[in-house]
Amino acid sequence: MSSPPESLRAIPRKGGRTPVAWQSQLHGGAEAEPSAPPRPFRRAWRTLLGGAMLAMLALFALLGPWLAGSPVEQDLRNTLAAPGAQHWLGTDVLGRSALARLAHAARLSLGLALLAALSAAVPGTLLGIAAAWCGGRTERALLMLADSVLAIPGLLLVLLFAALAPGALWAVYAGLSAALWVEYFRVSRAVARPVLAGDAVQASRLLGFGRGYVLRRHLLPALAPTLGTLLAFTTSQAVLALAALGFVGVGMQPPTPELGLMMTEAMPFYEEAPWLIAAPTALLVWLVAAMMLLNPDRETV
Amino acid sequence: MKTTLSPSANAYAAFSAPWAGLLLRRLVQVVALSMLIGTLCFFMVRALPGDLATRIAAGRYGYDLVSNAAADAVRAELGLDHPAGLALLYWWRDMATFNLGQSLVSQRPVWEEVAHHLGATLHLSAAALAVAFAVGLPAGLWAGLHPRGWVDRATWLAAVALRAMPPFLLSVLLILVVAVQWGFLPAGGGESQASVVLPAITLGLGLAAGLARVARAAMREVVQSPFFEFARTKGLSDVQALVRHGLRNAAVPVTAYLGVQALFLVEGALVVETIFAWPGIGHALVHAVFGRDIPVVQGTALCMGLMFVVFNLLVDAACLALDPRHSRKVAR
Amino acid sequence: MTCMTTLSAIPKALTRRRALQAPVAALASCALPAASAQGAPPSSAPAPLQIVGPWEISGLAPASSGHVFTRMQVTETLLDAADDGQPRPALAQRWRRSADGLVWQFELRAGARFHDGTPVTAPAVVRSLQAAQVAPALLSQAPIESITAPDVGTVLIRLQRPHTALPALLAHSSTMVLAPASYGADGKVRSIIGSGPYRIAVLVPPQQVETVVFDGYDGPRPAIAAVRYLAASRAETRALMAESGQADLAYGLDPASLRRLRRHAQTPAAARRAQVRIESVTLPRTVIVKHNAGLPALRDVRVRHALSLAIDRRGIAHALMGDETLAATQLLPPTLGAWHNPHLSPLRHDPQAAAQLLQAAGWQRSGDGLRDPAGQPLQLVIRTFLDRPELQLIATALQEQWRLAGIAVKVSIGNSGDVPLGHRDGSLQLALAARNYANVPDPTGTLAGDFSPTGGDWGAMGWHSDAVVQALHALMRTNPSPERARALRATVTQALQTELPVIPVAWYRQHVAVGQRLAGVTLDPLERSYRLTAMEWNAA
Repeated sequence: MSSPPESLRAIPRKGGRTPVAWQSQLHGGAEAEPSAPPRPFRRAWRTLLGGAMLAMLALFALLGPWLAGSPVEQDLRNTLAAPGAQHWLGTDVLGRSALARLAHAARLSLGLALLAALSAAVPGTLLGIAAAWCGGRTERALLMLADSVLAIPGLLLVLLFAALAPGALWAVYAGLSAALWVEYFRVSRAVARPVLAGDAVQASRLLGFGRGYVLRRHLLPALAPTLGTLLAFTTSQAVLALAALGFVGVGMQPPTPELGLMMTEAMPFYEEAPWLIAAPTALLVWLVAAMMLLNPDRETV
Repeated sequence: MKTTLSPSANAYAAFSAPWAGLLLRRLVQVVALSMLIGTLCFFMVRALPGDLATRIAAGRYGYDLVSNAAADAVRAELGLDHPAGLALLYWWRDMATFNLGQSLVSQRPVWEEVAHHLGATLHLSAAALAVAFAVGLPAGLWAGLHPRGWVDRATWLAAVALRAMPPFLLSVLLILVVAVQWGFLPAGGGESQASVVLPAITLGLGLAAGLARVARAAMREVVQSPFFEFARTKGLSDVQALVRHGLRNAAVPVTAYLGVQALFLVEGALVVETIFAWPGIGHALVHAVFGRDIPVVQGTALCMGLMFVVFNLLVDAACLALDPRHSRKVAR
Repeated sequence: MTCMTTLSAIPKALTRRRALQAPVAALASCALPAASAQGAPPSSAPAPLQIVGPWEISGLAPASSGHVFTRMQVTETLLDAADDGQPRPALAQRWRRSADGLVWQFELRAGARFHDGTPVTAPAVVRSLQAAQVAPALLSQAPIESITAPDVGTVLIRLQRPHTALPALLAHSSTMVLAPASYGADGKVRSIIGSGPYRIAVLVPPQQVETVVFDGYDGPRPAIAAVRYLAASRAETRALMAESGQADLAYGLDPASLRRLRRHAQTPAAARRAQVRIESVTLPRTVIVKHNAGLPALRDVRVRHALSLAIDRRGIAHALMGDETLAATQLLPPTLGAWHNPHLSPLRHDPQAAAQLLQAAGWQRSGDGLRDPAGQPLQLVIRTFLDRPELQLIATALQEQWRLAGIAVKVSIGNSGDVPLGHRDGSLQLALAARNYANVPDPTGTLAGDFSPTGGDWGAMGWHSDAVVQALHALMRTNPSPERARALRATVTQALQTELPVIPVAWYRQHVAVGQRLAGVTLDPLERSYRLTAMEWNAA
């Protein structure tokens, strides 16, 4: 899934060479149009929208808990209430405000998932670059390591880590990181290999630039778009893994609000109180959409 | 492009060396993996908090009957007060003779339990793959050919929604809409042929979303490449150029993506299996971890690891067959 | 992963591509027949009765999965039990007790046969009973000296001490009688060959079992010819299976599914949903808070009462169990007739009284919580497990109610085995469980075990009362007159209500969704049988 070599990309393609109208669509509507003023504007619009969505989410996660009230206060006579003036998102099965729980859960789940994704991304990417760079025996050893970790079912790994310390946050987070780093390793290695084998890096090396330069100027720009989308998907993967764990019965201890636990608790009420499960789901969709919009280049997974 | 050998011999030469290397590598991987998984599971389950005998007794007899007397009986029966080192040696000896032991909870051979569950999960995974191929590939290819069209935007939206939606939500919605409203698909159980459709759709849709995006990206790349343009210049029609050159090149990243997502199938199957009462391996694994049923945990983990290796082998073989340039170096 | 190829590859590509397309086509084709098959086709005989429930079949040992087979009426126990717990004949037609209560004699049914054709003989029964004497099978609670078979139709049980609860123990599923051919060479059960009106056709543990009518049964032939049981662990799945018509009996409905089914029953002809009706029965099962009365904080009976007064039982029953009347007023529910004491003052919800009691016991309110004179906060950990999903929610509700009273409680969700474990090593502080007091039809044995002088794994901890112990002994060992028995029971229930060695929270009601195909459905409050032989197909 790497891009064509830069040398070829520089050749502009026009769409009118063959009579088939279809052909013009193939080339004309693509990103390969030379010096097209609409494109930077479109890109800026998407980045702006994505950034705004993410900022709103971050604001909600940071300020929401202070403004929305207590997530633990119960009212057993007012359970499963519809959204109204008093509770903007209604109440859950124990009469707690769904909005307050959502805000606290957003902070906890997203923070934890992002932390797990980042702590998987950094070693994964570094190892991937190292594998692509060194090649030979180092690469094969790293590949075997990655394969072995990948072959141990990720859920089992997280389960075992989580069962080591029931209810403790660090165990779930460590398990998630251990399960997620391999994807970064594979992707960064796949992207780094053609870049490192390409003409540009060769030229830089011949010119005498060191490793740091190659990393900064060649590898990171090539990796950034892919890693960006991957981070989005990994974060949502981590949140969903947390939800799956909560579903199975491993996870935070009550009364801590956590997105996955909320979704699991709300599922039996999908017909009489659909907003209870719609709210956390909508939050997740918002997050993934924001991160996908932020990716300035064409989407690659 | 002339070769000195006859075409068949050339094909043989092109195939045999990398194939042999591939198989050997995978075999070594299998053995190393088995040892690693077995030992890791053994230690981790032993390190877990809670008394082993009590957990097993709770798994066997349920919360109404579990008591300290029951735990003592289990401890005596299974010899659980042996030191860990000795037990590990026994386990290695058993593994070398392909004896996976008996489940501590149900006392049936682990082979039987794992095979039964594995068959069900494989059935489900195959059906989910079929759904993903049927839905995701055409959508992705079409989106790649018509960027910014409505199919492209629809698949982008669907990809986001499906990746973010938990499988259990999707499965409940599906059950509600299809089984109850329209009344033609069973809502649970594993006995009839038709009962695989709903769980397969739930799993397959998530896979189809990612597959569509990857296929789209691969298709875009192919269409913009010089060789495709050359094919057009040569005089092939769009359809011919697509079928003869485009599809095969687009297939390589798609196949590689499938290799990465193989695990998603097996792990996502866990939640889906629980909802649809599908007797699969993820469900069995979770039960075994909670019940501290070490032989079943080890057997199941081994199985899943081996499945992964076999699947990767298939994917590598497919990549190798699709892309003959890989035959010159180690297949990856 | 760059993707360029050369044109000369075309001839090979055609064959290679076709070779690769084949497996994909095969995958797709294996899903096609699945897609075209449309559920169960109608046949001339009615389709098997489909039961779906949460209980899985974990192994074949009678202590582990006996309840599955006795409920499906595949195996029988020596005695049965009526709804009020009184013993009734099953495999044993008559039984006698010697004057000193030490020798019990059971006469087996003459025409009873096992599913493999062999007659039910006393030696076979003795073998099953002896296997049931190993813990945790409940027969191990009885002081049995020997079980013998003096002749082929009589079983003799000799006791060390009188034990009036023996008939109740012999009605428990772990004492179910299996044919000698069921046991393997190592003495473990290899297959289930019982003597009930149904025999096993297909057994696929842990989730499925299918039975058909046993032709050699010596009783009336049941109207339902074939029965299938499926274990589905999610309550929503079970309710949906009932609604879509796939299941005729769905056990273990949660309050949300119950409300949904009731709502749909009121709106007629909603899409193509099957009409289901709900049958309910109150179970002799109580949600209890077991606590460690040996802890300095809980040793004071005022603190225990304060804990109890702080609980809003009505709210919990209403919100989490769907029915406010399930709020417990005492430990044992009204269905246990003789043991439910109407003269006791009911447990109530009174946060002010709780605060006063705590203050009188020496706990000062400071900031958000209570502290003792030495400044230590009142912090406790409550253990519970997930096997019953409502327990987690009840624990969360209790945690909040106690937080308002100033007691900081942390919820620890683990395995059901953690509770007896914590009892033994003294680490248990609080535990939330759903105790089945009619595990054995007569609760006397269960209560005696729970409130023995050393406490019980699921009962008192660090507390005992001589009066209670003596009363329970008298009920179990002697055969008191009805008035004396009533007085003894009153002693026990009064002591339990005043001292609160376990704190009751709520009772249970079992709800079953019944499909429209079935008639004659009754529920067993003792959860011993599905009562399949009494059911029949609806004429429609």
